[in-house]
Amino acid sequence: MVKTLGWVAAGALAAGLVMAFGVAPREVTQGNVQRIMYVHVPLILASYVAFVVLALASLVYLIRRDAGADRLAHASGEVGVMFVGLGIATGSIWGKPTWGAWWTWDARLTSVAILFVMYLGYLLLRGTIDDPERAARYCAVLGIVAALDIPLVHFSVYWWRTLHQPPSLMKPGGFTGSASILWPLLINLLAFVVLYAYFVARRVRLLRAEAEAAA
Amino acid sequence: MPDNWGFVAAAYGLTAAVLLIYWRRLAKKEREVERLTAGRSRERLTAERGPERLTTERSREPSRTGHPRPDPDSRPPLQQ
Repeated sequence: MVKTLGWVAAGALAAGLVMAFGVAPREVTQGNVQRIMYVHVPLILASYVAFVVLALASLVYLIRRDAGADRLAHASGEVGVMFVGLGIATGSIWGKPTWGAWWTWDARLTSVAILFVMYLGYLLLRGTIDDPERAARYCAVLGIVAALDIPLVHFSVYWWRTLHQPPSLMKPGGFTGSASILWPLLINLLAFVVLYAYFVARRVRLLRAEAEAAA
Repeated sequence: MPDNWGFVAAAYGLTAAVLLIYWRRLAKKEREVERLTAGRSRERLTAERGPERLTTERSREPSRTGHPRPDPDSRPPLQQ
């Protein structure tokens, strides 16, 4: 099952690359550097998925004290931090030639940096508490509180004047660009969500094996 | 605006490198846990069966050259 998911993710990522470089057109104002969007946007959206799953699994853990839910939250947090970190890095690489700066403290960038730091703290908190039950309980609370930042990140471009462009996909009225841009974006989004599911499934299996070996 | 292919390569290259490192880290950790679990089950087996019985069994295993060892009771007594 996990292996199949891995092959599906690899195939979808390959298809996403073909779509981003072979099908999507060269953007008129930014040129080919705009192709970074096909990796930057899916990484950020997949990290939203990761943190929502983490928050839901944490809620289930607090209600039922289910170790499986805690393992899912832990795995989802780890992959989510990696994805949002990569999203920030690719955004910064895209920002330099288009904005003329690697980084600026505007509302979108600052709120996403806060999201990254909060979930990094979530992973560090797990490592610093020896008692697994207490670590799971504290992390569940932090995971739910940190998820409140996701709407702030998403709507920051509407609520404040920012340098960052408004959302491309998740906006009122839907996507307004051409289909030759929309499809590569959707295929890459699907690829990164499947990759997220693959990494999480593998990490959960590993966490279970580690717990069994330690028992 | 120039195409800035270097920035495109950097963004995709960085993403590929980080994903690959994470994938390899997972595989490495899986191997470590497998080794640990295998070691634990060997220790458990030794504890259950007892070291004496294992030593007796080992003495009856064929030698490295492949010749079967004779049963200790069937050996002729040493000549004085």
